[in-house]
Amino acid sequence: MNDVLILAIETSCDETSMAIVKNGHEVLSLTVLTQMDTHANFGGVVPEIASRMHTENITMVLDETLRKANMKVSDVSAIAVTYAPGLLGSLLVGVECAKTLALVYHKPLIAVNHTMGHIYANNIESEITFPTLALIVSGGHTDLLILKSETEMELLGSTIDDSIGEVYDKVARVLGMPYPGGPQIEKSSLLGEDAYELPHPMQDDTYNFSFSGLKSYIINLVHNERQRKNEIRINDLAKSFQIVAVDELVRKVEKAMKNTGIKNMILAGGVSANKYLRSEMEKLSQKYGVHFHVPNILYCTDNAAMIGCAAYPLYKAQKFSSFDLNAKSSENIKTYIEKEK
Amino acid sequence: MVSLYLDTHRSVIVFALYKDEKLWKKKEILSPMDHSMILIPSLKEFLEENHLKVEDLSDLVVVTGPGSFTGVRLGVTIAKTLSYSLNIPIRGLTSLECFLPIEEKNVYLSIPEKNGYFIGKLDEKKITKYLYLSKDEFAELKQINKVLENLEINYETLIQEAHKKETMNPHQVNPFYVKKIEVEK
Repeated sequence: MNDVLILAIETSCDETSMAIVKNGHEVLSLTVLTQMDTHANFGGVVPEIASRMHTENITMVLDETLRKANMKVSDVSAIAVTYAPGLLGSLLVGVECAKTLALVYHKPLIAVNHTMGHIYANNIESEITFPTLALIVSGGHTDLLILKSETEMELLGSTIDDSIGEVYDKVARVLGMPYPGGPQIEKSSLLGEDAYELPHPMQDDTYNFSFSGLKSYIINLVHNERQRKNEIRINDLAKSFQIVAVDELVRKVEKAMKNTGIKNMILAGGVSANKYLRSEMEKLSQKYGVHFHVPNILYCTDNAAMIGCAAYPLYKAQKFSSFDLNAKSSENIKTYIEKEK
Repeated sequence: MVSLYLDTHRSVIVFALYKDEKLWKKKEILSPMDHSMILIPSLKEFLEENHLKVEDLSDLVVVTGPGSFTGVRLGVTIAKTLSYSLNIPIRGLTSLECFLPIEEKNVYLSIPEKNGYFIGKLDEKKITKYLYLSKDEFAELKQINKVLENLEINYETLIQEAHKKETMNPHQVNPFYVKKIEVEK
């Protein structure tokens, strides 16, 4: 088979990103234009502003991506785009751009689920070995899956309330840290001691996660202490929070390792950039003799390279989309698996 | 010379083709729900019906708003991507400029919207100022000034008005929102 070159577009949240990916794993060029500094002024992503900035920047990001690879759109085999899940207005900009390029250059259009993108980031600089456990941790998702093959997967569990990324952001906010909260909590925790006793969520038999109890406990704790004019030891609280939150993930993954006997484990999603989580998963994998892989931090946060990787199996299976493709804000991994069956 | 006009700022999508600045074909599509699902399919169909390929287009005119935020965003995204990839000139026309030419002097042009009005102030045959007014503010404006309502677009002359404007770098073509959003207030 000839080399497959995919031009991939990702605009699901606050990054305008495009990439050209060869054969599902080699990133020939990647451009990520983040709007993070703009949204930080508002303490979180403002959907309308995100959509506006995608429209402003989309052709410039395309131009830069092509120039870096020294290619033209006519050189690629297909156009891939994130169609779900994410902010609807943001997704639509990428989808419309992708359709226009597919129309102009007569290329097949490939619709990629963003969560599958995070998983396939593990094919960059490595190769996913099946079957594998996959833990997806991001601002929108906390899912534990078994990937049996490129096309077959099973959802073990998901968060029943907030995602891990949301909880990091909300705890960071109540502690007075700027958006995005994840990296701030991590930095702060390195300076603290685990001195706060916090409730461990979800002592049950499922593979589901729950973080809202932990979040509410911390918010109440901070408010009460402030009312009593007591000092809040921010670094200590960040450390204790991170230990409990990551432990919630580790316990469920450990159960899955024990029960399934699967010897591969991958981590995916924006929160997988968290060093403490990476090292805890690494330790756990060693304990069970599991081969563990996590993408380079560059490919953990939202980027189009991972979308190009996830599009490759769809290209091989000729799973192309028609021009009436619509963006879907809420198609989670469970819905996606059901649809693909 | 085939020019494509693309207007997505309201629920009726308008495509028009001009040959040497003469209106050649025009199509209006009532978009029942999502512009996104029908925009590219209907553009493709419109070109095919007229035995054209995208490569046959020599320039583009896109309505940049004000109007539906999502509507103009989709239209502008398509238009700037077309202009960039086909390497053809693009011009943006505001939804109020579409009503030009208007000979009257010292008047305001208006487009109704769900909770108010988009207003353009006409000076020397050009729109010099844009505003978004609530219904009450609109009533006040009408008491003191002449405001033109229920305006119709003259598609025959539209392209000449559009071609009076400078062509733009596709990267610089952006929606024109006028109405402020909550965080901007």
